[in-house]
Amino acid sequence: MDLHLDADDLNACVQCGLCLPHCPTFRVTGDEAMSPRGRIHLMREVQDHDAPLTDEVMESFETCVQCRGCEPACPSGVPYGHLMEQTRETLADAGALTPLWQRLAFKPLASPTLLQTGSSALAIAQRLHLVPKRLGISTELPIRRRPLEASGTDVYFFTGCVMDAWQRDVHRSGIRVVEAAGFGVTPTNELAPCCGALQAHAGLAEDTRSLAKKMMANLEPGRPILVDSAGCGAAMKDYGHLLGTPEALAFSERVFDIQEWLAGHMDRLPVAEPLDLRVAIQDPCHLRHVQRVHDATRTVLRPYVRELVELDDEGLCCGAGGAYSVLQPDLAGQIRDRKVASIERSTPDIVASANPGCSMHLAGAGVPTVHPMELVDRALGRADTAP
Amino acid sequence: MSILDRLRGGRTAHDVDPLLVELQAALTPERVKMDSAQRSLLGKDASMFEGGVSGPICYPTSTDEVVAIAKIAERHGRAIVPRGAGTGLAGGAIPLGAPVVVAMTKMNAILEIDEENGIAWVEPGVINLDLTRHLTPRGFHYAPDPSSQQVCTIGGNVANNSGGPHCLAYGVTNPHIAALEVVTATGEVLLLGGLDAEPDGYDLRGVFVGSEGTLGITTKIAVRLTKNRPGVRTLLLSFATIRDAANTVSAVIAAGIVPAAMEVMDQKITRAVEHYVHAGYPIDAGAVLLAEVDGAEAGVDIDADRIRELGIANNATEVRLAADETERALLWKGRKTAFGAIAQIAPDYYLHDTVVPRSKLADVLDQIYEIADRHDVLVMNVLHAGDGNLHPLLIFDGREDGVMERIQAAGEEIITASLAAGGVLSGEHGIGVEKQPFMDQLFTSDDLDHQNRLRRAFDPTCRANPGKVLPMGHSCADIQQLRSVPTGVWG
Repeated sequence: MDLHLDADDLNACVQCGLCLPHCPTFRVTGDEAMSPRGRIHLMREVQDHDAPLTDEVMESFETCVQCRGCEPACPSGVPYGHLMEQTRETLADAGALTPLWQRLAFKPLASPTLLQTGSSALAIAQRLHLVPKRLGISTELPIRRRPLEASGTDVYFFTGCVMDAWQRDVHRSGIRVVEAAGFGVTPTNELAPCCGALQAHAGLAEDTRSLAKKMMANLEPGRPILVDSAGCGAAMKDYGHLLGTPEALAFSERVFDIQEWLAGHMDRLPVAEPLDLRVAIQDPCHLRHVQRVHDATRTVLRPYVRELVELDDEGLCCGAGGAYSVLQPDLAGQIRDRKVASIERSTPDIVASANPGCSMHLAGAGVPTVHPMELVDRALGRADTAP
Repeated sequence: MSILDRLRGGRTAHDVDPLLVELQAALTPERVKMDSAQRSLLGKDASMFEGGVSGPICYPTSTDEVVAIAKIAERHGRAIVPRGAGTGLAGGAIPLGAPVVVAMTKMNAILEIDEENGIAWVEPGVINLDLTRHLTPRGFHYAPDPSSQQVCTIGGNVANNSGGPHCLAYGVTNPHIAALEVVTATGEVLLLGGLDAEPDGYDLRGVFVGSEGTLGITTKIAVRLTKNRPGVRTLLLSFATIRDAANTVSAVIAAGIVPAAMEVMDQKITRAVEHYVHAGYPIDAGAVLLAEVDGAEAGVDIDADRIRELGIANNATEVRLAADETERALLWKGRKTAFGAIAQIAPDYYLHDTVVPRSKLADVLDQIYEIADRHDVLVMNVLHAGDGNLHPLLIFDGREDGVMERIQAAGEEIITASLAAGGVLSGEHGIGVEKQPFMDQLFTSDDLDHQNRLRRAFDPTCRANPGKVLPMGHSCADIQQLRSVPTGVWG
C-alpha cells in the first residue's frame, strides 16, 4: 500500500538504532515494534514491499505518542514526525485508522460555543462524580469562565480550544505577564478556535489544513502570535510545511512560544522577589524536541523562583501526548510512571510544565504541576490566586 | 471481506504451532511474538546483512524463563539467538534458520551496587549509558563506552567484547567483567568467573566474553566500577592531512602518555558530524584528533601540554582545549554519532572494524583511500587511533546498480590490507556473519578446529547462535542445524 511517504525521507533512516532509548514506548516495552526505527522499518515494509496492515503493524503505528523525542537524537535528521503524520493521514483516509467516534470527538474543538457548553456540562458532571477516572481529567474544570479582554494590539495571544475551556486562568496569567512587560495583548478567542494539532496527530490533516487557513485569514498580518501551549505552538509553527504556501511559511515565522518570546524581552519584565520554591522543569516534548526552545523556560523562570532543578531523564515524554493518554491509557500510564520516578528523584516543591496536556496527565498521578507563566505571574504579584 | 479486512491482510494460522504454544505457556502469551511485523523487525540489526529469518521471539524477564526457552527450543530442535538493542554492525544477532530469538530488553534491572568492592550486578538488557548515569551520583562510571553507548546493552557488550573511545586507557569490555551467569543452549545455568581478585582455575569468564552468543546467553553480569577522575582535559587538534594526525597519535604513545582516548576523524566525516552537532569542529581541516587525558588535576595539564607540543611538532594547524563540560560533551556527542550522521550524504553505509599496529596506521590509511578510489567508492575514516582500530565507512546508495559489488570488493581489499599489515579482523564489532569468511585468512585450520572444540564444550548440540563467528567448515554441526529448519512454515 502506498503510504504516500517521501522516499528520501524514508531512506534517511540508516537503522542505526540511536533513537531507541529516546522513545517512550520502546523504553517501557523493550519491543522494537514500538520504537522509531521499528516503525520506520514497518512503513518501508508497507510502502515498498506491500506488507499487509496486520493488527501488529497497526498497533505499532497507533501506539506512537508522536512526542518526536527521536528527532533530536537522530544524527541523520530523519523527519520522523512528518513520516508518522503522513502515515496516519493515509491510513485515516483509507478508513483503517481513527474510527468515527474519534472523528466526532474532535469536531467540537473547532467550535468554541459547543466546546464551552460541553465543558461546563462536564464540569458539573465532575462535581457530581459522574466522570470516569480513565478519561484522565484530573483537575477540577471551571463551570463559568470570565472572558479574556484585549489590552492592545502589540501581540496576539492564542487561546485555542480545550485549554481555553479548561485552563483559562493559565491564559490569564500568561497575558498578565506579557502585559507586565509592557505589551498590549489581543486574545484570539473566536478568531482562532483551534490549531488542529490533535486532528493532525490522528491523521485528520485535512481538518487541520482548514483550521490553519481559517486562522491565517482571521489574524492580521505582521503581529507576533504568542502561544502558551507547547503542542499548539508546534502545530502552528508547522503550518508552513502543512500548507506549503509562502503565506503559511510567513505565518509560522511569527508564531512564538510565550516563554520563547519573553526570553527575548527579559529586560522589560519587572524585577520581583523570587518565590520560595524548588521548581522542577518538565519540558513538554513539543517544546523541547519539536520547537526546541525549552531553554527559554529556564531563562524566564530563573529570576522568579528560588531554585530550578532539571529532571534526569533527558526530556523523555510523560505520556500525555494530546489525546494519547485517553486512547492508550496503559502505555500512557507506564510512561508516566517513569516520569514520576524522575520527578521524585529531583525532589521539587512543584513541577512547571508549559503544556496543558502534560500538566493534566501529571496531575492525574498526584504531581503538583503549574504552568511556568502561573509562577511568574504569582511572583510579579499580579495573580488572582496562588497556584 | 470488507475493505478494512483486506487492508489489514489475512492472518496466518500459527496458533497451532506446538513450539509457540509451549513458549507462551512458559512465559506469557504477550511476551512470545510470532507476527510478521515482529519477525521482519528482528530479522535485522544495524548492519547491512539481509536474509535473517526469525522464529518465535521471546521476551523473558528472568533466568528461569531463559532456561525454559532453551529447553523448549532444544526439544523442538531449534536454535536460540540472543538479542539486545540490535545495534550490532557485524550481523551477530541476525537470526539464521528461523531460530527462537531471545530479546533481552525486558531484563534491564540494575540489581546491586557494591561500591566498596567496586562491583555492580546488572541484567544484560541494561543500557550501557544508563548504567553510567546511575553510577554518576556515586562518583563512579562503567568504563567501556562504545559509540552506541546511549542505546547498546551490557549483554551485547559482553557478547562482542565491545570497545569504545575511552578503552585506550581503561581496556575494552573483558577486564571490566568480573563474573557472568549464563544459560547454555541445553538450559544449564553456569556461573563463570567470580568476585575474587584472582579466581582459581581456567578463566571461562574470559572465554565467554566476546563469544557472540555462540556459547550461550548471559543472564546476569557483575561489572567492575571505575572511579571518576577529578581532572579531565579534552583537546581538539586540527591537521592538514590524516597522516599528520596518525603520526601525532604514535608520538603521544611513544612519549609514554596514555590518554583516556585518542580519536581521529577525516575531513568528510568531520563535516557530516559538524553539520549535526554544531560543536565547532573545523570543517576545513584535513583531519582532526580528539584527545582526552584524565587523572589528578595537577597532572592533566602537564599531559595536555605535552600532547599540544607533540601535535604542533607534527604540523597541527590548530590546537583547541575544550573550555568547559558543555563543549567537551558536544565534541564527544559529535564523535559518537558519526556513523548515523552519514545519512546526510547517502542512505547506506558499510562500516569496517579492523585493527592494525599503531605504527602502520598512516600507511594503511593511505592504502584504504587508494582502494576506495580504485573501486569508485566514497570512504570516510573515523578511528580509535590510540588502539590502531580503523573504522573505514564505505558510503553508498544501495539503489544504485552494481554498487554492492564495488562495496564488497573494496571491503575485502581493506580487510586484506589490514591483515597484511599485521592486523586483525575486528576491534570491537565482532565477527558475526560479516567477518566469518575471512577467519581462515587469520587462523590456520588447526586453530579453527580447536576453537570449535572449545565451543562444543559449551554447546554440544550447536544450537547457540549457529552460523556465526567460525567459518562453516569448522563450526560443529551448524550446517545441519541451519538446514534442519522445517521449510514452508515460515513464509
